Amino acid sequence: MPTAPLLDRHFLERLERLALRWQKSFPGLVGGHNRSRFAGGGQEFLDHRGYHQGDDLRAVNWRAYMRLDKMFLKLFQIEPRVPVRLLLDCSKSMAANQEKFDYARRLAASLCYVGLVRHDTFEVIPFADGIQEANVCGGGRHRFTPLSNFLNTLRPTGDTDFLKVVRRFLNDYPQRGLVIVISDFLDEAGCEKALQYIADYGNELFLIQVWAPEDRTPPWTGELDFVDAETGAQLHIHVDSDARRAYTQQFDQFAEGIKTVALRNDGKYAGIPTDMPLEDAIFGTLIRARGVA
Amino acid sequence: MEFLSLTLGQVLVTFGAVTAFSVALYLLDRTRRRQVVATLRFWVSPGQPAPVSRNRKIQQKTSLLLQLLGMLLLLLAIAEFQFGGSLNKRRDHVLILDTSAWMGASIPGRSNVTVMDLARANAIGWLRAVPPSDRVLVIRGDSLATPATAWELDRKKSVRAILESSPGATALNLTQNLEFARAMQRRSGATAGEIVYSGPGRISAREANNLNLPAIPALRVIATEEPTEHSGIRSVGARRSETAPGTWDILVRAHNYGKTGKSVNVSINFGKAPQGLHQLDLPPGKDQETTFQLRTKAAGIVEVRLYPQDAFALDNYAALEIPEQRTLHVIVYSDNPESIRPALASDPRVNAEFRTRAQYTSANDGLVILDRFRPESSPQGHVVWLDPPNDKPPFPIRERSEHPDGLRWIPDLPLTQGLRARNTQIEAASVFDSTTASDRIAETEKGPVMVARGNIIAIGFNPFSGQMRYELSTPILVGNILRWAAPEVFRDVDVATQSTGSVASPVPATVDRNTVQVLTDNGTVLPFNIHDRSVQFFAGEPARVRVIAANLERVFSLTLPEMWDSKWTPPTGARKGIPALTDSIRRSTILWPWLTLAGLGLLLAEWILYGSQSTSRLRVVKAIPHQANQQQEAA
Repeated sequence: MPTAPLLDRHFLERLERLALRWQKSFPGLVGGHNRSRFAGGGQEFLDHRGYHQGDDLRAVNWRAYMRLDKMFLKLFQIEPRVPVRLLLDCSKSMAANQEKFDYARRLAASLCYVGLVRHDTFEVIPFADGIQEANVCGGGRHRFTPLSNFLNTLRPTGDTDFLKVVRRFLNDYPQRGLVIVISDFLDEAGCEKALQYIADYGNELFLIQVWAPEDRTPPWTGELDFVDAETGAQLHIHVDSDARRAYTQQFDQFAEGIKTVALRNDGKYAGIPTDMPLEDAIFGTLIRARGVA
Repeated sequence: MEFLSLTLGQVLVTFGAVTAFSVALYLLDRTRRRQVVATLRFWVSPGQPAPVSRNRKIQQKTSLLLQLLGMLLLLLAIAEFQFGGSLNKRRDHVLILDTSAWMGASIPGRSNVTVMDLARANAIGWLRAVPPSDRVLVIRGDSLATPATAWELDRKKSVRAILESSPGATALNLTQNLEFARAMQRRSGATAGEIVYSGPGRISAREANNLNLPAIPALRVIATEEPTEHSGIRSVGARRSETAPGTWDILVRAHNYGKTGKSVNVSINFGKAPQGLHQLDLPPGKDQETTFQLRTKAAGIVEVRLYPQDAFALDNYAALEIPEQRTLHVIVYSDNPESIRPALASDPRVNAEFRTRAQYTSANDGLVILDRFRPESSPQGHVVWLDPPNDKPPFPIRERSEHPDGLRWIPDLPLTQGLRARNTQIEAASVFDSTTASDRIAETEKGPVMVARGNIIAIGFNPFSGQMRYELSTPILVGNILRWAAPEVFRDVDVATQSTGSVASPVPATVDRNTVQVLTDNGTVLPFNIHDRSVQFFAGEPARVRVIAANLERVFSLTLPEMWDSKWTPPTGARKGIPALTDSIRRSTILWPWLTLAGLGLLLAEWILYGSQSTSRLRVVKAIPHQANQQQEAA
């Protein structure tokens, strides 16, 4: 039974104008599109240095030699292809509101398409209480369909355990690169420490926090039995306007903590509610967060 | 406030049940609900105890209030709630349509439009504003309140009665009309509605000075436009001149009803021949009188006209019918006429003829006086025998008495009116042998000396001779005899033309009530009352009325319309004009659709605001993240 496409063609055409951005310089294969502070076989002039024996004579600046009678070597900026890993939260908390998980999948698909268009290599890694089977894609936009199908097959399950996921991730993916995390970051044990590990290992963080409207501003009032979507824990409370206000305040503090982790490590952060159109999220929030350009 | 379909108790009980049910549902609906959320961590503030469950309480008071209010409105719609209370019951209204004489005045600047036309139009306008279920009684109001319809639901009949109403001849007696209307409302048995007066509100000075209107809870006055300047004849009177025989004094009184002074001409015609023209300067609101001398003995009609004509023409003309000045033919057969002549010559109404005994004939067209003479054949008609001879007297003579003492007049007889019992000295008198006391007029100690029976009076002595001819009793006795013979000739006749309505004719204080008569020309006896030395009666229509009291006769030609003296000022609480759409006289007949709409609207609003939580609250949440994002990005 064919599933509905995550993104329509018109939206995909608009995404082709974008490219993923990262700030750190990573070693990688030549052929990417992000500049690097490493010199190499690129096209853009970077600097001069003195010639040393064994250097490629093709890089000697013969004009300077003719004028100064010294040999200077021209250095070029390389544009490496950096691995991009997208960690997609598939825990049950993402399923407390089905809209939130769908939104996260569509957002992931959009970013993957942007990367595919720029010939970035993408690894979509679903996670909950552990890393699930990843999907590696690269080589152009024509590889988007398998990725889309992969995302369609994902189902939210399990509790969130960021620390366990990060440990496994750092083990499995030692090469530094851009790590995009699309999640609600709702882990009872906390996620800041785990995210800090990722950054500490030289990866650049791009944290995209997705929340449903009721995650931030609960609409309910009165006597309520709240059930945690992941743990099944229950909380019987009376919700009034004061409680709702305090809840929102707590949520904003939590989001601020996530953002702080990202920015502190030269990463990027974007908070996106699911009632925001995906187009506005990509071309608005993510561009302002300098995650894409 | 009332309910047509339910009682107040039913409404309260039903609403109470609905309220209880709604509150119960509300509390049940607002009790604990299970909600799966992404996390519980934000519900518990760090370092603070977890929120605890509270008892049931109403959380969304506005929601519950809207629900209850909406259901209350729907319940009121079912009960057919109406404002106004008793006003919404069937009410009985009384319409007093002014039909006084003044209503015939024309409106200046409008051709052929009278005050009556405007009052009719106003009355019909008010009638259209009356709810169809209310009954209306139309009263034609002038000096009397005359119902023109019964309590009618049929507006066509009421309109017909209004259109058929026309100005009368009398002034408005507002007090009586309002009292009558109020009494009719009390008797009707239904809820009293409005009492409406349509007219200019002109009343007489007599009523204005003693205005005591009944307390009317719902009085409406629909004022009517009217002319402001007018003058007219107030009254015309005719009296025989006391100085010139055969002459009438015609007294004309005119009144200026306007607010500015004016000069008018008054002319009189008799037998269609002009008899005089006087000019009168009438100050505003004042009367002026003028007197004409009319020399005639013939009967005829005196026409009085006032120029120039104005908006109200009915009182610019008055007609007065004066009677013929008749005389009494008195034939005196006497050998000594000179002694009698002064007594008869003093009154111009007496045509005295003195004859000798040889000239005697039995013909008699008035009064025959036989002075110590007995004819062969008795005369016809009224006869006075003076000292009749013993040979075949009209009454048997018992004896002849010389210098009788103790002449006494029998009191309380027409022939002895004004004569006092006094010891009048007479030389000699024949004492009649009268068997009945009723025949006696005067008597001495020896018996009656003056008797009367039928047309015959016999006086046993000669009042024109001796000491008695110098007594006052003699001309009084002659006057009584002449009045006995022809009372109609010797009555003091006053002729007056004045307005219809209530008429007061002054009479002497000593007049006997039994002798008073109030008659119309066709012989109809009018009821009257004697009060404060005047005969008071009422004539609602133009007529010629005679008031006869003893030897007085006053003829009233009630042809002038009865006019007003002042304008009535309605009380401040009275409603005015034709009722508007929002007036309380109109009933909000169909209120339940609006109540239904309002109730449904409230319930819909409640559902939109509180019922559709998923929709409405997401909408609320939408704006907040954008704002939060922008704040975060700005940071």
